Amino acid sequence: MSPNDHEGLRRLLKYLKLNAPAAIPEISRELNDISTAQGIQEAYNYLLRSEVIFDLRKPSLGVYDQAFHFIGGAQKYGLTLISALQEQFDITIIANHEVSHKDFLSWYSLDLSKCRIKTIKLPYFEERRALHLDPALIPKGTKNPFHLISQESGNYDIFVNNSMNEMVYPLSNISVLICHFPERRPKTYFYADRYSYVISNSRYTAEWIEKIWKLSPPGHIYPPVDMEPGEGELPKKKNILSVARFEVEGTKRQREMIEAFLTLNQVWPEIARSWKFILVGGSNPDNPYLARLEKLIRNNPGQNIDLKVNIPVEELKRLYRESTLFWHLCGLKHEDPSEIEHFGMTTVEAMQNKMVPLVFDGGGLKEIVDHGVNGFRVKSTAELLEYSMRLFRDKNLVQSLSESAQKKAQVFTRARFEERVKSLFADILKTYRSVEETYPFY
Amino acid sequence: MEEAIVKEIQRLKEELEKKKREVRDLTELIHKELDRPFPANVEELSERELETYVAEHFPSLKTSPDTKPDKKPITSHRKIFGKPIVFLKQFLLKSVVDYNDLFLAKQVQFNRQSIDLYQALLLQARNNKKRMKQVQEKISSFEENLAVLGAKLEDLRSRFEQIKNRTANHKNEPERS
Repeated sequence: MSPNDHEGLRRLLKYLKLNAPAAIPEISRELNDISTAQGIQEAYNYLLRSEVIFDLRKPSLGVYDQAFHFIGGAQKYGLTLISALQEQFDITIIANHEVSHKDFLSWYSLDLSKCRIKTIKLPYFEERRALHLDPALIPKGTKNPFHLISQESGNYDIFVNNSMNEMVYPLSNISVLICHFPERRPKTYFYADRYSYVISNSRYTAEWIEKIWKLSPPGHIYPPVDMEPGEGELPKKKNILSVARFEVEGTKRQREMIEAFLTLNQVWPEIARSWKFILVGGSNPDNPYLARLEKLIRNNPGQNIDLKVNIPVEELKRLYRESTLFWHLCGLKHEDPSEIEHFGMTTVEAMQNKMVPLVFDGGGLKEIVDHGVNGFRVKSTAELLEYSMRLFRDKNLVQSLSESAQKKAQVFTRARFEERVKSLFADILKTYRSVEETYPFY
Repeated sequence: MEEAIVKEIQRLKEELEKKKREVRDLTELIHKELDRPFPANVEELSERELETYVAEHFPSLKTSPDTKPDKKPITSHRKIFGKPIVFLKQFLLKSVVDYNDLFLAKQVQFNRQSIDLYQALLLQARNNKKRMKQVQEKISSFEENLAVLGAKLEDLRSRFEQIKNRTANHKNEPERS
């Protein structure tokens, strides 16, 4: 879009600036011309923008996520963004299923009472009674079920799509697509390139947005991580902790880590026995992968391995505080870039609690852990054992790495996240309020 | 700002909102085409995406090895000359098809053999991948053992050195009476 496309807006603002009732017919005629030439939405957008330029109301922000009714890291990202902006903007949270302010408070400790929640049910998914609105499951030739959300996007000054669902066409003046990973290649109903801004959660995701979606490198804002230990440190135990969802496909590689720990027990029991391996994670009922892990542990009794599924946050916090090492191998043996950790929130949580991370050398984890400085990055289970044993035998190394890890984790705090979000939206708003517009904004 | 203008803005907004609600088609709302074609570039696909690509495309290849064009009924809208034109077209097509069939039969045979070969290679590749995974698992298990044994050896060596030094020191100490 060239600056000339906004000639209509400039003319409209000129008449509004006259601030004279005599200009009313001109304003009306101008809007009518814009509507005929560029569509009703464009005329409406110009009017919305004029209201903000003349300070007639607070700028409005619509934030959409097709999974706001589920607990998740991506949803926490979007809702923390809302929490940071709720003073400056008139915010509407757009969901596809019923969800309440109370839910957000109990799931993420976020008070979003200043925002309204609007539920838009999508008939395509309603007819199928689908709670999980996965765009990948929509067969070819189906009418885009997300057009209802596209239509809704046109009611705000700024529309934020937090669900990395590239099937939503943004109609607002300014639009932001938050992408945690570009899961689908451009095909029918691909509109990611129609957004004014694309924000990623890590440099790794940004690289893949460039490769898969062919978009110029987007800016990134790391997710907010707030698992700081608070007051009073607990004495560290000889625990190795793994915190990751028990995915049915096994992409978090818990089986490989258990097998590596079993090898250690078998080959060098004297050193392994004093350590305990605890695997924590969420899971749906009837998870065959989890059942296989349970069987693997049952078949090798007395090996100091604990599985903890769907535990309360308080217990998780305690485990973080009293464990020493953190293992995370998501990305090992991957067949697709989406199977590598895009960021690695649990690794940061562990580092905030002075644990030494030993993680897979790939994806977003490379941005978190600096090899040999605040943890180790490994390419195989053999390397995982090699570095773990080095740490088992060197208390001083554990001490220095854990202190560095806690320091590095400060880069990913909620305060830092909010600071970056506020700065980004302040810039957006400044441009939006100025009459001399350049588009796109970045 | 003058109240009359503020009211006018509000009125115009409501009017546009009403119009927006009436429009069902997004293209009509923005006077722009929404969709574009995105041809797939197979070279860029990941291993997992390649699997899906093969699963989606191979069956359609298997069902269309014939080179014959799809049969379309020959018709004519002309009332008087229609019948002779249709007859002539059918005659011409039949003679061309019969003639072409003579050497296209060989092409069809080649296509079928190519598809069979593709399928065989595909199966072979899948089997090899499975075998490779098993080998990788074994190698990583050996590597794990090696890593632990290496560390254990190092530990024993350092202990041995300690004992050796202690013994040497003990020997060098003057005997106390």
